[in-house]
Amino acid sequence: MLRSSIKYTTNLKTFSKSTIKCYSTEVSEENLLKTPLFDSHVALGATMVPFAGYSMPVLYKDQTHIQSHNWTRKNCGIFDVSHMLQHKINGPNTTKFLEKITPTDFHALKPYQNHLSVLLNKNGGVIDDTIITKHADDSFYIVTNAGCREKDIAFIKEELKNFPGGEQINHENFDGTLLAIQGPKSQEILSKFTTSNLKDLYFGNSRFIDLQGFNTDEKFHVSRGGYTGEDGFEISIPNNKVGVEFFNALLEYDEIVKPIGLAARDSLRLEAGMCLYGHELNDDVTPIEASLNWLVSKSRRGDSSTANFNGASKIIEQINNPKSVSYKRVGLTSKGPSPRHGNKIFSAEDPSKQVGIVCSGSPSPSAGGNVAQVFLDKPYNKTGTKVKVEIRGKLRDAEVAKMPFYPTSYYKSP
Amino acid sequence: MFTRSFFKLTTSTTTTTIPKNRINFINLIRLQSTFKLNNNSIVSNYSKSPILKFTNEHEWISIHPDGTGFIGITNYASDALGDATFIELPIQQIGEEIKNGETISSVESVKSASDIYSPVDGKIIEVNEKLDDSPDLINSDPMGDGWIVKIKIDNNDPTLNDLMDVDSYKTFVENSDH
Repeated sequence: MLRSSIKYTTNLKTFSKSTIKCYSTEVSEENLLKTPLFDSHVALGATMVPFAGYSMPVLYKDQTHIQSHNWTRKNCGIFDVSHMLQHKINGPNTTKFLEKITPTDFHALKPYQNHLSVLLNKNGGVIDDTIITKHADDSFYIVTNAGCREKDIAFIKEELKNFPGGEQINHENFDGTLLAIQGPKSQEILSKFTTSNLKDLYFGNSRFIDLQGFNTDEKFHVSRGGYTGEDGFEISIPNNKVGVEFFNALLEYDEIVKPIGLAARDSLRLEAGMCLYGHELNDDVTPIEASLNWLVSKSRRGDSSTANFNGASKIIEQINNPKSVSYKRVGLTSKGPSPRHGNKIFSAEDPSKQVGIVCSGSPSPSAGGNVAQVFLDKPYNKTGTKVKVEIRGKLRDAEVAKMPFYPTSYYKSP
Repeated sequence: MFTRSFFKLTTSTTTTTIPKNRINFINLIRLQSTFKLNNNSIVSNYSKSPILKFTNEHEWISIHPDGTGFIGITNYASDALGDATFIELPIQQIGEEIKNGETISSVESVKSASDIYSPVDGKIIEVNEKLDDSPDLINSDPMGDGWIVKIKIDNNDPTLNDLMDVDSYKTFVENSDH
């Protein structure tokens, strides 16, 4: 019975072959990369699985998936996200360069503010989603997905080559320990290790902080936010000795802190309505089709002097003329068997008519029932519309629902 | 602001690594006691002399002298699956004949859905409706009150002898862990 019944279907054009390839790179077990915390995960009894070329913890000993999920919503969960790709980019016209490859207004961003963004190809499709932090004019820190590592590096290199003055822009990647500290008790925990007052570090902002007790005067980049819908931080520690010691020190507070693996990371982000590259996003999906209109800054929707990013003509047309958009990413809820990635969606009135496909879906530990993010053709994408999802050969009832499925709790500035 | 445990921890710089095969070994010790039926449950005490068999898909069947069988998933499978959230029961197939290898149920967790195949030919006579309200029985007592389907076994099923006994299944699990 352990044969999983979830099968990846590639019937709709929205699931391009390149996307599937991006996330299914065959790597034999001994060739898997290890994060600096690999030994710690093994010592904690984690179940390690291949993910994006790395051996990553999916679940830790003595916790079930649902316990890990609920723990993060109530207390504090620590996620090793060191597999993600960190970049530094700076030099003359870096802002202009980033505004060529993303639809974000980086002039408007203040230093140490960040923004969710997307790297765009010339057709307006999403090469990757990313958090970009401004450190100063023409100096930025970027985090992209591990599964798109090679693709992203090649893309940025090629774009720099074609960008006038691109040779003066310095782009480099760096390794290290990257930790996500997530949940309502995150500030309480991180405050035990730093003299920085975290009370005035709000969602979408970052700073360099000290870490006390690790024999180092270095300062480490910490941003407020994350991938669970909860309050939290992501901290980048290039010094791996400090990274490993800090991870272990956090776990000493075991009444509040637990290590959390990829299984709960996925169910938490799904409930929060966040996209996972390769599921909700891929090279053929525009940010508008992915219902990420808000990522296209208002100031970049004008004429060709502002709307000059890759794929702008298509994306601006989709914003100005919604009828030109044939499908959208929306939420779906159901009871009983859960919709899963690749399940086909049919019209409730005409069950022979396919009207969409499931990007991600699972039972929802926090919201109850099943939740899914799906691509649905118009006009079936309206909230409250009843549809049918084909699960194990049978059509099951589901309904279009608003996202997020579980309310987010970000620490926003008053 | 800084607790004592904080300093205690940060002075130790080494981490202990347990080799992977060692973890499997520890798991196996725990599993040695988990290859049997819950003797206080109907799957075992339906008759005085049930025979327990396994499949390589980690289903079990308890076969009773009158030809009645109870089917479920093993403790090993239950552990691997994690928290069960929903069990799809073949409620509309009660009274129908099914063949060995056909899907009779699906067990879902947050991260996956797994099909359950019938280990034998026979007729479905009952499903465990308790699982509708308590899917967690699949985790708490998979080889007892978490049974899934009750079946009247077709005595002429030529594949009955292909099923594994407990020793074969133990060996199978040990080998599949490496």
